[in-house]
Amino acid sequence: MMRFVPLVALACALAAPLFIRSDSTFAIVTFGLLLASLAVSFNLIFGFTGQLSFFHAASFGVAAYITAILVSDYRWNFWLAIGPALATVAMLALVVGAICFRFKLREFYFAVVTMAFSEMIRLVVVNWNSVTNGTLGMTVTAQPTLWSPSGPVALSGARVWYYVALAVLVVTYVVCQRVLASWIGRCFAAIRLNEQLGETLGVNVFLYKLLSFVIGSVLAGLVGCFYGFYTGFIEPQYLSITQSLDIISMVLLGGVSSLFGPVIGGLVLTALPHVIDLTAELRIILYGAILIFVILVMPRGIFGLFERPHHAV
Amino acid sequence: MIQLIIGQLLNGAIVGSLYGIVALGITLTFGITGIVNFALGAFMMLGAYFTWYGYELIGLPYPIAVIVAVLLVATLGLVADLGLFRFTRNNLVNGLLVSIGLISIIEASVLLTWTSTPKDLSYVLPGSLRVGGILLPKIKLAVFAVLLLVIASTYLALTRTWIGRAAFAYAQNPEAAALMGVKTNRLQTIVTVYSTALAGLGGALYASLYSLEPTIGAYYVLKAVESAILAGIGNTIGALVGGIIIGISEGIGSVFLPTAFRDAYGMLFLVLILLFKPSGLLGSK
Repeated sequence: MMRFVPLVALACALAAPLFIRSDSTFAIVTFGLLLASLAVSFNLIFGFTGQLSFFHAASFGVAAYITAILVSDYRWNFWLAIGPALATVAMLALVVGAICFRFKLREFYFAVVTMAFSEMIRLVVVNWNSVTNGTLGMTVTAQPTLWSPSGPVALSGARVWYYVALAVLVVTYVVCQRVLASWIGRCFAAIRLNEQLGETLGVNVFLYKLLSFVIGSVLAGLVGCFYGFYTGFIEPQYLSITQSLDIISMVLLGGVSSLFGPVIGGLVLTALPHVIDLTAELRIILYGAILIFVILVMPRGIFGLFERPHHAV
Repeated sequence: MIQLIIGQLLNGAIVGSLYGIVALGITLTFGITGIVNFALGAFMMLGAYFTWYGYELIGLPYPIAVIVAVLLVATLGLVADLGLFRFTRNNLVNGLLVSIGLISIIEASVLLTWTSTPKDLSYVLPGSLRVGGILLPKIKLAVFAVLLLVIASTYLALTRTWIGRAAFAYAQNPEAAALMGVKTNRLQTIVTVYSTALAGLGGALYASLYSLEPTIGAYYVLKAVESAILAGIGNTIGALVGGIIIGISEGIGSVFLPTAFRDAYGMLFLVLILLFKPSGLLGSK
């Protein structure tokens, strides 16, 4: 039964614009969908392979910066700029992942080293003023265009971006789903459940950990490419530890043991502070309280409440 | 040049001992409860703000303000332990996330109460000593001395008292310690609260040196985690040594290399240590 939840959700999401009227609602849902994609890609590394990475914000931010710089400073086509952005993220993830996994860093140590690499990249972004405009951030004014039978359509307006964000989420979700359904997913599960046992049974632990890390990071990069153009603004904050923590919270709130859980977590955590009208500080307090509540009271997340108690492989 | 380097060495050592006192809390909490309590940074920040409040606004003498601040922070630590951390023992990820939720709550509450405007304490201990051509502010020396004293006495308490040895025993083998009559729940609470008190003390002393902002906690706790890992997590004196190494490598690094990247030097050092000697600089294996 639970298999059909994502399909039903997709159908609802496609039909939703018929009922949504205000632009602000569209904006919240669009943000929610983009952050949900980020959460889904993170859960491939965390929930399904068992590696607590703090590199996700870096992948997301680096891709956002590269596409924005190529498009605004070098007049590249947006869709072409995605290529180098994702290639760079893949290279970075490959190097960081190879270092961490080759030296067999686990759990907390893996988290700290990925955090350190992520912070180093953020410092480069903050200090490379001539390219990134430092702490002030960059405004992105260019609008990507989309080919259509009646001529190119600019990606602008709440409705169009809603569908773009939905498409990003679907792509991320389907890629993760296909990966997990294949033998690769079973190797990930073996690593998560018992690394030593997996190794004994012939799973190449190094290779599959690296694969999970690179796929997850590249998908985060994909979200980053679009996110910068949607908000029209990019700042070093995108690469911060706080950003990584936000992603982790979404995944936990939704539920780590499924692909669909993080989608719920991303949407709920993005929408909730806007639904309840509060000042910025009270919002952060509410955010912290929700995080604590979820972990102590419902450790399997929102989606876990409806799911039979087994770990989806 | 030599003077500049010596100056940076001393400054690095003093900042490093501030990292060290928070790192000591991180190391103790990790050893006994199996979680990395990132909220210690927020408790340190609270300690700093409480001291500022007591000293500047109420007008208490500085030492009294420090003691009151440490006691208040320890009380909050007790509440946090009984209400939250008690449920995340030996669960690294959950403990990490609960502490992150707590950080958001504490930081936002401080922002609400005292806004983000930096706060400064008026001179606690003016004047400086001249040692071999280098001016050393008295307050920095006093802070350094207090921190060394506290860390050394913690070390003595851990090795010489019953509760300290119980903690050691527990860190090595929890079940055997429980069989020997160590009340493990109470031990874990005591260690968590003591760690928050240490962080609070770090903050209270910090307040006399630099200006206060709600974000200092997040900054210092990262440095403290680096320091704790650098020396090998679980190592009491190592926390201090690690903190001082990080402090000095930042100080010296920013003399010879671009200052903008000063935070990266400590991290780079940490990554190298973790890769080539995962048990830490002072680790046994």
